[in-house]
Amino acid sequence: MSARLGAWASWAYLGVALLFIFLPVLVLVQFSFQEGLAPVPPFDGPSLKWWAKVMANRKITDGLWNSLLVGLGSAAMATILGFLAAYALARRKHRLSGLYQFLLMAPITVSYLIIGMGLQITFNHLGLGKSLWAIGIGHVVINLPLTFAILYSQLGEHQANIERAAYDLGASDARVILEITVPMLWPALLAAFFIAATLSWDEFVIAFLMSRFDVTLPVVIWSMLRSGLSPELNAAGTLVFAISILAVALVELLLWRARRNAN
Amino acid sequence: MTDRVTFRGVSKSYDGHQVVAPLDLSIAAGEFVVLLGPSGSGKTTLLNMIGGFATPSAGRVLIDGEDVTDLPPARRPTATVFQDYALFPHMSLAANVAFGLRMKGMAKAERLARAAAMLDLVGLAGFGGRGVHQLSGGQRQRVALARAMAVEPKVLLLDEPLGALDLALRRQMQEELVRLQKRSGATFVHVTHDQEEAMSIADRIVVVNQGRIEDMGPPDRVYLKPATLFAATFMGESNIIAGRVARVNGQEFLVETALGPVALRGAAVPDDAIHLVLRPEQLQLTPPTDGIALGRARVEELSFQGTHCRCHCRMEGLDLILRAPVAAGLRAGVEVNLYAARGDVVVLDG
Repeated sequence: MSARLGAWASWAYLGVALLFIFLPVLVLVQFSFQEGLAPVPPFDGPSLKWWAKVMANRKITDGLWNSLLVGLGSAAMATILGFLAAYALARRKHRLSGLYQFLLMAPITVSYLIIGMGLQITFNHLGLGKSLWAIGIGHVVINLPLTFAILYSQLGEHQANIERAAYDLGASDARVILEITVPMLWPALLAAFFIAATLSWDEFVIAFLMSRFDVTLPVVIWSMLRSGLSPELNAAGTLVFAISILAVALVELLLWRARRNAN
Repeated sequence: MTDRVTFRGVSKSYDGHQVVAPLDLSIAAGEFVVLLGPSGSGKTTLLNMIGGFATPSAGRVLIDGEDVTDLPPARRPTATVFQDYALFPHMSLAANVAFGLRMKGMAKAERLARAAAMLDLVGLAGFGGRGVHQLSGGQRQRVALARAMAVEPKVLLLDEPLGALDLALRRQMQEELVRLQKRSGATFVHVTHDQEEAMSIADRIVVVNQGRIEDMGPPDRVYLKPATLFAATFMGESNIIAGRVARVNGQEFLVETALGPVALRGAAVPDDAIHLVLRPEQLQLTPPTDGIALGRARVEELSFQGTHCRCHCRMEGLDLILRAPVAAGLRAGVEVNLYAARGDVVVLDG
């Protein structure tokens, strides 16, 4: 009897915890289908009225494309740089390897606000204007430690031995990297890429500080928020959330396949 | 004829710690050499210096008389079978085996035909299209072997390749290795810490300990007449009896031991501290011709091993291990007289 009660209590606890995490998002999604002008109860939908408005809003669709551009571009760059750094540190033992690793990982402890301010000062100094490029560079800076850490963890001694076997059979450095290391790391490379892309997609602080005319979707939403709540904003937010969830699901799928192949 | 592999005064240190002491070693073409030693003895470092995965701190490594000391693995006529197989997980078995041939620029049709033939040779005919993940450990081992042999290396290097296999499979692979080596005529250099494996496959065993070559020769010679105490104890069980040369008399000498005086033939220096080595199966219960009596012993412990009984025998001041025939019907607690043939006794310095 007490075992049944315990099982029931643990399920209930799980339900409450999940509700706590997802309730705000669920409410956001629900009220994007609101009929009336205010995204507050009572719910009078469902209606696609506000979704149609979002899709017709140039500011939002432009922001969406800008976000995709910055997200995919900065993620590709962060993944390539992260791979090169991880490969070098995993394969070429150096006296200062520990220091390099620390320096590569350190930005993860610095708040985006501080990094954004630093970038702003640096770009001012260099005469670089605020632009999507500036946002992209900022996102590479914040995502590089993550892509590096993910890829470094996948470059173990077993992989090194597989590379050694390729060298032994006559492969050059370039062929080992392109034909052995990269294909072997493919799932991890894709996972790193999608994590970086997702974080860039959601990122607001740096995108806000680094942008002027071309802005990303989170910045568009923020500027719309200043004129008050509207179901249109809910729809825009739901869009951001849905694309993030898709990317995260993709990452999980890739990592699951990588783990299965590793066995 | 020049040797296939030659070490000339080769040594290796890591961070000031010497793992291989300066040594010379020659391996003939077509020879199956086993480097045998405990872990950390430097045997894998020796193998890596042939393959190009380690560079000697001093000395030269030659293959067919050509100095390869500074050549990378890719440019040496060697191929390695790794302990963890190191197969390419993202390639089919055929692509794995054909990889080295592709790197050499062989045409696709030709190299795939060769890969199929190599897979056939290791008993995996028709497996070319499969992935690495569908294979058992023993099958992966065979693919690794086929991949290394496909490039027709002058020297095939095997780094404890059978370590991860279970006993029955290991025995079977040992036989196959010998068969493949004889058929291909390639030189095999095989590293292991398993002395039974070494004895069953090697043309010549090189016993390595603490970066030095302790003994080197055909398995029967190394087993029956080990050159050092280490070789005597690492290659199977040995009874070691410490003694001192009491008297030298022409071609005979007398050794004082804990078991009493033992008369032996050969040369010796008076007052030398020496060791007498006898294998457990060389101890006998009945006096052989030209035998020596070792004295009376009490069987303390006894374990049945199928082909023989392994007994711990307590003697005055010394314990010996005896392999007695099952037919002798020994029991714990009985007393026996132990003998040995004079010719079986190995005398070692130190």
